[in-house]
Amino acid sequence: MKAKTSHSLIALSTTALALPGIAIADAPPVESTLSYKISNYKEDDLDREESPFGDLGRYDIDVHQFQLITPIGRDFSLQIDANYEDLSGASPWFTTLGPDGSPVVNLSGASGIQDRRAELSIGSRYYLENGSIGGNIGYSEEDDYRATYGSLSGERHFNNDLTTVSIGMSYSADDIFPVDAEIFGRVVSENKSSTSAVINISQIINQVSTAQVALSVTQQAGFLTDPYKLRDTRPDEKTQIAVSTSYRRYIRSADAAWHVNYRYYDDDFGVSSQTIDMSWHQNLGRRFQLIPTLRYYSQSAANFFTNVDNFLRPETELQSSDYRLSAFGAVSGGLSFKANMGNWTTTLTAERYIANDKYSAHEVQLPSTALVKYFRVSAGVDFSF
Amino acid sequence: MAYSLQRFSFKAMGSNCDIQLFSDSRITAKQLAQALIDEIERLEAKYSRFRSDSLISFINTQSNHNLAIELDTETIALLDHALSCFKQSDELFDITAGCLSRLWDFKAATMPPPAAIADALNHVGLQKLSWENSTLKMPAGMELDFGGIVKEYAADCAATLARSRGCQAGLVNLGGDVAVIGPHPQTTVWPIGIVNPNDNDGVMAKLDLQFGGLASSGDYARYFVHAGNRYSHILNPKTGWPCRGLRAVSVAASLCTVAGSMATIAMLKDEQDAISWLEDSGVAFVYMTQAGVCGSGS
Repeated sequence: MKAKTSHSLIALSTTALALPGIAIADAPPVESTLSYKISNYKEDDLDREESPFGDLGRYDIDVHQFQLITPIGRDFSLQIDANYEDLSGASPWFTTLGPDGSPVVNLSGASGIQDRRAELSIGSRYYLENGSIGGNIGYSEEDDYRATYGSLSGERHFNNDLTTVSIGMSYSADDIFPVDAEIFGRVVSENKSSTSAVINISQIINQVSTAQVALSVTQQAGFLTDPYKLRDTRPDEKTQIAVSTSYRRYIRSADAAWHVNYRYYDDDFGVSSQTIDMSWHQNLGRRFQLIPTLRYYSQSAANFFTNVDNFLRPETELQSSDYRLSAFGAVSGGLSFKANMGNWTTTLTAERYIANDKYSAHEVQLPSTALVKYFRVSAGVDFSF
Repeated sequence: MAYSLQRFSFKAMGSNCDIQLFSDSRITAKQLAQALIDEIERLEAKYSRFRSDSLISFINTQSNHNLAIELDTETIALLDHALSCFKQSDELFDITAGCLSRLWDFKAATMPPPAAIADALNHVGLQKLSWENSTLKMPAGMELDFGGIVKEYAADCAATLARSRGCQAGLVNLGGDVAVIGPHPQTTVWPIGIVNPNDNDGVMAKLDLQFGGLASSGDYARYFVHAGNRYSHILNPKTGWPCRGLRAVSVAASLCTVAGSMATIAMLKDEQDAISWLEDSGVAFVYMTQAGVCGSGS
């Protein structure tokens, strides 16, 4: 008897959920949203101990991001993104041994780098009864780098919209033409390409929790070396694989949501990394939200990483002292505040990031001297109309 | 303006209805309420048996000529749900049973001649219909009546539409069929009073709704007493006679449509059968028996 009647409830719910007014088709946005965000990313200066000569100031980047999302007709949406970055400072040029025999870093040029990057991308989505398909194209240019890219993606809902599967492909063709190439003997013009595929599955578990898992594979080919380093030689192909999972749960008694994300990454340079981050989205009344975030990151070193450039080895041999290829760990903490005032939403975020070889969960044979610490602050505003 | 409850009352589907929305702007809330009312009126205009220009009237007129009728997605989905109700109720909940109710005059409290009932029963039975490939085939003389489904469906549609427009807290109430847009922001739950069948102004019970919907079915006003027996206006499509089950039942479920279908099925069953069916189903419910005894379960 019991099985039969609970079967009744399931049977009635299944047909009711298929009714079009209840199972609303995936809908394009009903209103337009215009967003602007300004961020400042500032790396801590190096200590004189870490860099005995020259400039100590590292990157300081101002980023301006504009976005417009608007419906077109009943079934389409249009998204336009424009970014502008203003970058100054210096990046590690080469590494040597210091007076006490430990590695020290030399930053690029006393005057540092001044660069600007401008990017524009345009995309559109078409909304179907059970999902959507979309694509975008974009272009980014700076003094010494140009990227042209495009992507296609599709998404479909199953299982009474409780499960969503999306797949996407993207391709980017990049040109590299370093400044002052002749003075410093850098390459004059090179290029690289990057192709990615991603599959993502999200599942609504119940009224208060959702889970997601994604797999992405990226293949890079071409000039993957850093042309600004005095000695840097990397393979001309790279395969990257990443698996990410996330879980979100709304905690009714606290009127807050708990987000946990984990990501595993591996590439054939030898870098393997793990990231775990957690955030707590606390509602404060109906208008405000406070979001503290904590993140831990750890990676292994690339097979050809060295913390002291070896100028005696032939240039064709793989080596790089790029700190991003060393084994290290990083912790970061941030706080966001969101205020929703009718058509306006304002978001303020501050984040502190510290990378250190001592934080690594991976084996560190050659610690890098040039690991970064940075502050990032941003302010954004969204307007819906 | 502070964030507050805005209430809009209107008449639709033969009932007193109201929409309650939490909003910080009376103007925005009014625009949203109007969009929900438009949606409810769209469904009424499409599915009301009492409007000669409705789709249902069109279908019912066409069926007299034994034609195949092209259906839209929404009507197919409603027929699919009606078939689900039909199967889950052991063929008691039948949207083709409308012709039976014309035989019974509840005001005059007279019984129709048995031959008329037998004749009408020839034109009842959802299993006689087919709607494959979106073409409805219905034998001549049969009629559809979505009255037992569409009001609840309209409440769910309005609540879904409100959520898709960004409304997080509110309630749609179409003559006692209730769909929650989102939890009450202060108290989390919406307390819903359930009318006492013996006393139209009195409350029989109170159910707290946080999500989902609530629907009621009962022989509140329309019934008659014959030879000492109280007959409900709800007719058994197998016998053509009024049911003698529960006086009233209210069900809370994840959707108002599901709650309404379950309440109707419960009313069509014999009292004890209905109570145990509800108890086993896992939904929250309250009921009143013919003897006036109230009970509840969840």
